[in-house]
Order: sequence, then C-alpha cells, then structure tokens
Amino acid sequence: MSNSVISVISRFLEEYSTSTPTKLKMVDAYLLYILLTGALQFLYCLLVGTFPFNSFLSGFISCVGSFILAVCLRIQINPQNKGDFLSISPERAFADFLFAHTVLHLVVMNFIG
Amino acid sequence: MDRCGLFGFFIFSLAFTEAQALIPAHHLSLTDLARLQNLLSQTFIDLESAYYSVVGLKKLGVTVPDHKEVCQFVNSQLDPASVDSLFFAAEISQAISDCEIPVSNETRDILLAAVSEDSSMALIHRAVSTFSSLGLPLASQEVVSALTARINKEDNVMAITLALQTAARLSKQAELGGILEEIEDLTARLDDLGGIYLQFEEGLEATALFVTAAYSLSDHVDMEPPLKEDQVIQLVNSIFSKKSWDSLAEAFSVASAAAALSNNRFHVPVIVSVQGPATVSHSQPTLQLLVTDVMSQPLATVNVLVESAYSASSKSVILNEAPFTLNDGIFELNFMSTHPASGYYQFTVAVTGDSRLVASHVELKVKVSTEVAVTHMDLSVVDKDQSIGTKTTRVDYPSKAKSPFIADSHQNFAMSFQLVDVNTGVELTPHQTFVRLHNQKTGQEVVFVAEPDSKNLYKFELDTAERKFEFDSISGTYSLYLIVGDATLENPILWNVADVMLKFLDEEAPATIQPKTLYVPKPEIKHLFREPEKKPPTVVSNAFTALILSPFLLLLILWFKLGANISNFSFSPSTILFHLGHAAMLGLMYVYWTHLNMFQTIKYLAIIGGVTFLAGNRMLAQKAVKRLEKK
Repeated sequence: MSNSVISVISRFLEEYSTSTPTKLKMVDAYLLYILLTGALQFLYCLLVGTFPFNSFLSGFISCVGSFILAVCLRIQINPQNKGDFLSISPERAFADFLFAHTVLHLVVMNFIG
Repeated sequence: MDRCGLFGFFIFSLAFTEAQALIPAHHLSLTDLARLQNLLSQTFIDLESAYYSVVGLKKLGVTVPDHKEVCQFVNSQLDPASVDSLFFAAEISQAISDCEIPVSNETRDILLAAVSEDSSMALIHRAVSTFSSLGLPLASQEVVSALTARINKEDNVMAITLALQTAARLSKQAELGGILEEIEDLTARLDDLGGIYLQFEEGLEATALFVTAAYSLSDHVDMEPPLKEDQVIQLVNSIFSKKSWDSLAEAFSVASAAAALSNNRFHVPVIVSVQGPATVSHSQPTLQLLVTDVMSQPLATVNVLVESAYSASSKSVILNEAPFTLNDGIFELNFMSTHPASGYYQFTVAVTGDSRLVASHVELKVKVSTEVAVTHMDLSVVDKDQSIGTKTTRVDYPSKAKSPFIADSHQNFAMSFQLVDVNTGVELTPHQTFVRLHNQKTGQEVVFVAEPDSKNLYKFELDTAERKFEFDSISGTYSLYLIVGDATLENPILWNVADVMLKFLDEEAPATIQPKTLYVPKPEIKHLFREPEKKPPTVVSNAFTALILSPFLLLLILWFKLGANISNFSFSPSTILFHLGHAAMLGLMYVYWTHLNMFQTIKYLAIIGGVTFLAGNRMLAQKAVKRLEKK
C-alpha cells in the first residue's frame, strides 16, 4: 500500500519538475512561502495564545488572501488554461494581482493595530 | 306661597344634582366692614369724595357724624353751574337730613338741558338723580326715550348700568320695560370664572354697581331680576372677595352692593358660619351657628333647622328635622343630647322663614370628640411551649407595673387591653394604637402596632426570637409605652406601662452598638481599571518573529535555484517609475501602520497608485508587445 503511495508521489514530483514552466514554478515557490508563513502564525497562536487577537487575525488573513491571489495569478498565467481566459493576458492578470494586493494590504494594515 | 313651593322644588332638584349647591365663599365680615368704614370715613377733599364717603356710610348703616359741618362743606364747594357738582350735593343732602341745597330757576334749566339724547349717559344719570333727590318734577317719558337712545349709542357695561340706575329714579308709571330687559343682556355679558366667580371684565366696580342698579330697578318695578340663585352667589363671591379697595369709588360700589344684597325684595344671600370649631363634646355639647346676611348683620326672623345629620362612617341618620334655638343672636343645638358616638357627622342645615333667602341650604361637617380610657390592661410572660402557666399582671392607668417583666428567647411577652369611651362605655378603635419599647441605655426605640380582634379587644405579642432583628439582638431593659391617639379623642394617651427586660442570645449581639447611620458618607468606591492582558515573554515573541520570517529565506533560495534573475530588466522610464511607485506604496503601508489614519493613507495612495498604475500599464503593455514579438 505505502509502496504505491510513494510511487505515486515520486511520479508526481517527476511530472511536475519536467512539465511545469519555470514561471509557474516560481509562483509555486511563492505559494509555498506564503503557506509556511501562515502555518507558523497559526502555530504561534495555538502555542502562546491569541493576544493580541486583531494582529493575529490580520496576519493570518494576509497570508490567506495572498495565497488566494497568487493561486488566481497562477491559474490565469498558465498557458494550458489559455482557452478559459481569452480576454485576460498574463500582464493583465499580473496587474489585477497587484491591485488586489494593494487593497488587501490596506485592510491588513488597518487591522494590524 | 306659590313661589315658596317652586323654590322648594328648585332646592329639591338641586339636592339631587351631582355638584353641591353653591354657597358663598366670601362676604363682608365684621373686620371687613370696619376696614370699609375706615376707608369711607376719610376726611373729604372735594365734593365727589364727600359724596362717596357720606352716601357710602349711609348704605352701610353707619351714621355720619357732624351733619352741620358736612352741610357747610357741601354748600361751600357747590358750583351751581355744574351738573356733577349739583348731583353730589343733592345726593349728600338726601343722605343727611336737615341740609338744604338752594335751587334756582337757572339750576333747573341746566339740569333739564342735560337730559337729552346728546348728553352722555353719566350726565343724564346725574341730572335725573339730582331732580329726584331735590324733589323737582320731571317728565319720565322723555328721560326713557333719551336713555333708550343712549343705550344704543353707548353699548358698554358702565353706561347700561347707569341707565338702570336712572330708570330706578323715574316714576313707576313710565314705560321701563325696555330698560328692564337690559338686566338680562348684561347678565349674559358676565364672565364665569371656574363656576365660583361671576364678574365683568371691566372689574369689581362695574360688577358691584351693576348689582346695585339691577336690584334697585327690580325693587322699583317689583319684578324679580332674571338672576339665578347660583349666579347671585357667584356675584357675591366676586364682589366680596377683594378685601382692600383701591379707591373711594370702588369702596362706595362695594358698600352699595352690600346694601342692595342685604335689603331687596327678591334675593337675600344668607351666610351660615359655625361659631368656633365645629366640634362638640361632653364638655361642650352645643353646636353654635351664626346666620347673617352678606353684611354680617344677623337675620333674626329666620328659623334654622337640621334637615338631616348622618354619621360619615356608618351613614346612619342621627337627626332629622331638628330645630336650632335662638339664643342671644346665635342659633344653638345640643347635639350631645342624642348621644352620638364619636366621629364625624355630615349636617345639612336649612334656613327658612323668608322666601327671599338664597343659598339657604348648607352642608357642615361636625366632629364629635370624646375621651378614651384604657381598661383591663393585662401583661404576661408566656412560655413558648406553654408548659408553665401564664401569670397575668393587671396594671391600672396611669400607674406603672411594679416589677419589670423578663422575657428571653423561649418566652413571649403578651399584652391585652380595651379602649372604651369614658362617657358612653362603648369600645373604641382609634387610629393610633402603638406600643413603643425604648432602651434607656442605648436610646434605641422600636414601635409596634397593637391590633384589635373581632371583639374590639386589643392584643399585642412580642416574640423575642422572631423580633430580634428590630432590636439588633441587644439585650437590656426596655421601657414599654402605650400610645393612643385619634382626631376625635380629646385626651391622647402616652403611658409608661412597665419595664421589660429582654434577653437575646448573646453571641448575636453586635460588639459595639452602632447607631443607625443613614445619612453619613458611604465608603469610597475605588475604581479598578481593566488590567492589561498578560503578554508572553519577549523571548518567545522574538523567537517566533524570527521563525515566521524564515520562510522568506526559503523563498529566496528556491527562486535562486529555479533561476530567477533580473536580466530582462529594461531601463525604460515607465519601468523605473512603476517600480519606484510600487516601492512607495509598500512604504506608505508601513507609514500607515505607524503614523497615518485611513483618510490620509487613501489620499496618498490615490496619488501614488495613480502614478504607479499608469507606469505599470505602460510597462506591462511593452512587455506584452515583447512577448507577442517573441512568439
């Protein structure tokens, strides 16, 4: 059983490293970074406590929001999905990404206290 | 007799109405009369003031002193060419006998000329009155036509009142019907104030002169004025409510009205007042009433009787049609002869004997008071489980029990007594029956109420265990007082009956005897501010900050491994501007966190964002073109 799981994972990793364009891999690295940051924040909250709660929330929401926006960017610039996003060029996707981030950071900064 | 029956029916129907029949609230008491007389007796400066004084005093029934001096004064001040002067002189000479005013043909001509449609009402009135007082003949019909014409021209209250007064001086054969009707019109113009006062808005003088004129004319033609009983009483209230008068004219008008209301053929308001307090008792068994007219002159020819007297509490009728006896100007009734129980009684008194009487039914509240005696005062200490027999001690008022009573938590202290009326022996239930226990050492006092049972026997029981809170569990000797009081008792009782030694359980007694402090400052409340939450130690926070920043390092490593570079960086102005703008926006975020508020941030963001957007748009467009070219 575990054997098949390991083989599936190794196959997946191999597929990933070969067929994914570099641009997407960079976005994936960014996604991993955001994920780790969010997870560590949550760990802190579990271990030490929720004081100050508003700061924790703003930090966590920032991670979650950034993750979501980065996923959106990844979907939109993936050449395989070009058919779904005919009217949106990768540059446009990136511009949307930046604008959404501005709004997100405004809210996060307001709430961080 | 016919009118008497009608009058009686009117009163009967009045008695059945919701509201009480109106009785006068004000009249001229003897002190008021003295004051009025004083005002009218001032030395006169001119003929007008002399007229008011002399005629006013005559109306009050006071004899004017020094007739000769007055007559001399009048003759010296008289101006034969002035109608006013002649009027005053003529009226004064009629008031004091043996004073002659010389009359010449010129005088008569002047007076005749004044009686015409073109003169003012006041002038006509004075001229006609002078004719009448001097005994000179006058054609009444001409006067009536002049008056009627003037009434149409001068429609005010004073003018019409003067017309009425003038008509009263004319011959009875003249056609006075039209002028008589004016009384009713004027009555309609009176203002009703709260159902108690009826007066002209022109004031007291106008109202008083109207009353005088109306009754004077009504008496002259022998026709009852169209004033209802209640209206007459309301007029009485208005005229006599003012007890100090501004001017001689006002005082004169009040005196005239008083004379008119005490002595006319139709309506005489009667004033019934109780002499002294309306209380009867064994020592003072008679109820004394003073029955007078509005000028405080006693009405001697009337009969006074109690139509009904009933007890206010039990509503049982005690008296029915009992007459008062006239004793030296005062009407007396021995109420105690009917042996009434103590309490309040409602009397309806009727004054009869004269058909002119107005407000002849009066309601009075009479109190019958008595003396109380405490009998069968038995004190005892009863054991709670009633195993030991009770020993009752009888105490007689006003002595005190010889030995103190001892009661501890296993015993009850009991007291029973009866309250009886000294004169009749009937049991009484006064309003206040209190038992007061007073601790002599601490000054504490506790008051209880003694309640009567169904047989009117008063009982009081003190359960020491139950009542320890009232006493604060302080043991000691308490003096026991009995307090009896009521409005109908002439001898309230405060009697130190006995001393009671109460023993409470010692451990419950307070260490120091605190007086009940109700009005001292209370202890200060110290406000406790919200404690700030406990923060984790700085080491932990710093460690975690470092930990959270570590994935960034990982990101950089990963990017480097993937081959991220900035080799494609084109140094076009839009690119540089875009990057600068973007960096500025991130910097603004930091500054927002530390210094700014939302409004300022949005302002700066709009500016920087706008620039960055334009530059970025340019840059990305260039990038897109490059990408499409590469393709």
